[in-house]
Amino acid sequence: MKPIISLQNVGVRYKRQGNVFRPANYFDALKSINLDIYPGETLGILGRNGAGKSTLLRVISGIIQPDKGKFLNRGASVSLLVLQAGFDPNLNGRDNAILSGMLQGYSRQEVEAQLNEILDYSELGEFFFEPVRTYSTGMLSRLGFSITTITSPDVLLVDEVLSVGDKHFKEKAERTMIAKIQSQQTVVLVSHSHQQIARLCDRAVLIDEGVSFATGDPHEMLSLYEQRLEMSA
Amino acid sequence: MNPHTEDIELSRVGLPPEEKAFQWPWQAMKEHNWSEAASRWAVVRQAYPEKAGTWLQGAVAHIEAGELAQADVLLTYARKHFRSHPSTFPESARLAMQQHKWDTAHDFLQQARQQFPNFAQTWMRSAEYAEHEGNLKQTTAYNEKARQCDPALSAPFIQYAEMAMRAEQWSEALDRWEEVRSRFPEVPAGYFRAAEAARHLKRPQEARQLILMHQYGADIFPNTPQTPISQLKGKKHATLPPLVELIWTKATFNLRSEVHRNYLSYGWWVLEPLLHMVVYYVVFGLLLQRAGENYPAFLLTGLIPWMWFMKAVSGSSNSILGGQKLILQVGLPSIVFPLVSLLQATLKQLPVFVLLVGFVWVQGYSPGLHWWALIPVLLVQTLLIIAIACTVAAIIPFVRDLSYLVPTGLTFLMFVSGTFYDYRMISAEWQGVFLLNPVAFLLKCYREIFLDGMLPDLLPLAWWGFGSAMICLLLLVGYNRLRYIYPRILMG
Repeated sequence: MKPIISLQNVGVRYKRQGNVFRPANYFDALKSINLDIYPGETLGILGRNGAGKSTLLRVISGIIQPDKGKFLNRGASVSLLVLQAGFDPNLNGRDNAILSGMLQGYSRQEVEAQLNEILDYSELGEFFFEPVRTYSTGMLSRLGFSITTITSPDVLLVDEVLSVGDKHFKEKAERTMIAKIQSQQTVVLVSHSHQQIARLCDRAVLIDEGVSFATGDPHEMLSLYEQRLEMSA
Repeated sequence: MNPHTEDIELSRVGLPPEEKAFQWPWQAMKEHNWSEAASRWAVVRQAYPEKAGTWLQGAVAHIEAGELAQADVLLTYARKHFRSHPSTFPESARLAMQQHKWDTAHDFLQQARQQFPNFAQTWMRSAEYAEHEGNLKQTTAYNEKARQCDPALSAPFIQYAEMAMRAEQWSEALDRWEEVRSRFPEVPAGYFRAAEAARHLKRPQEARQLILMHQYGADIFPNTPQTPISQLKGKKHATLPPLVELIWTKATFNLRSEVHRNYLSYGWWVLEPLLHMVVYYVVFGLLLQRAGENYPAFLLTGLIPWMWFMKAVSGSSNSILGGQKLILQVGLPSIVFPLVSLLQATLKQLPVFVLLVGFVWVQGYSPGLHWWALIPVLLVQTLLIIAIACTVAAIIPFVRDLSYLVPTGLTFLMFVSGTFYDYRMISAEWQGVFLLNPVAFLLKCYREIFLDGMLPDLLPLAWWGFGSAMICLLLLVGYNRLRYIYPRILMG
């Protein structure tokens, strides 16, 4: 099977903006990443804070281009799962749903056709037509998650499996996410929860200091990761 | 009655009903806490020695705990006093098998099959024996009988699946575990053991799903290929029409949001320019006495187009920085942000423009054919606004300090554009230079149409339109070239 996305020796270097008192300097967020993503798989990305996971997701989603190495996407649509993308507190739930859906790449007509499903899923009732600034945190995240349920790119990037809303909605969202991750869709999953990576992923890749140093069975990668954490501790 | 039995009878006063008493050891059995269960059965047995269950279940607990000697004692007693209990011989056979006394087990099982052919345990133990003998056909036949005896009992079905596991017939096992799941969805083995079989078949995804099914219920993965609530595939802002739609929606929604924030809502769209006009009228008309005839009309024809320009440019200057989150999260092209801001400013100016036309008309400047020239003038101003606003917006992320210069620059531009004075008031040799400023030129055009009742100078207008259009095209190319650069700058 051919990978749909390949990264070969990918590096990304940021410029830290300078000013009159401090010159600009550079920072290598990714040094050498080798990674293949195969259709239909769930790939876990393991790494501590600052290992370069977010930068890597940005490269995979095509938002930035690497400074060195090769990044190859064989025609897959990729998107990051974003909760409450572009929410405006003064607009009601319905308008925010339309806007958020359109920001994720759908036409207005497509999103409007899904509004009833979004409303049903969110269980917001009449609140759907109230400005979201009047929402509780739980309601806000319910609306945010409900909008993401309509999205279905070829490759879905998930940064932390979401835990949203009250207990009941949390379970429902978790079920939806897990069903989505385990479906034929290709998913790249970043999570701090080791258990989650082990439970959900086919393969895992370990990243530390911008280098992907091991890829393989999630259980093996997890024990390797823990060894590495201990070593540096 | 000898005194000893009497004592026992007396000691029974106040005993709980047997079902209640038995719950206590059963609880430990359910928790698979076998030695605890065995001791609880021993306690209960003191109170109910005449109940076969206290002996037989006690024996089961001991067997599970690996305490075979104790189990033997209990079962020997059971065989003496509870020969007619269906569990006596199957459990005895089980113990015998554990002790590797195969002949004894054989005898017990024969007895059980004669006495209790309708009891599932009989056949399950018989199947176990046959499996040890290596008689697979017999094993399957006995197990089938067990399954038929009591289809509500999970153990025979589990035994059936485990048989396949031991034979390393993994796909067969997977099918049998599926049957276990469909009949007894609460039995964990149906998921975990099946996952093991799937792993042997090198189907890790299936194994993972089975374990998740145990946690979330079997219906989490529909049998039909997974259908998300929608099959929509994000087009990721690749083509122009959806982008135009997005820009329009975002601009109108922003306006809606802005309006909801204020008490006077849409009223401000008209009130704000009027207040500006009052300020200039007081300063220049009343205090400085610079006003000529019909100063309000003169002021408005300059002020309203100027405010359109000013609001569009200042509104969009920081828009790319403001869109940082969306650029980094959903990969929205940066050009969307200045365009949204300037469309928003433009839509806000529309009602004021209509009012301006009405006001001028009421003041006695009647419309004529020359008013058609408003169309090219408005068009050129639109192009000019796009060109300037998008250029400013494109530069500011690179040199953020420039955003401090934008308000100053705009104020300077307002003073050199003749917003509140007539360009003819400056000395003649400077007028040509003055009109090289496109904003000054446009304001002159508006005033010529509205107040002087004449056609504006169309040739320079066309040049300004052409120049602005060229810049717009260059901007399109430039923004496209910079599409991977902006996210970088916004991250740094």
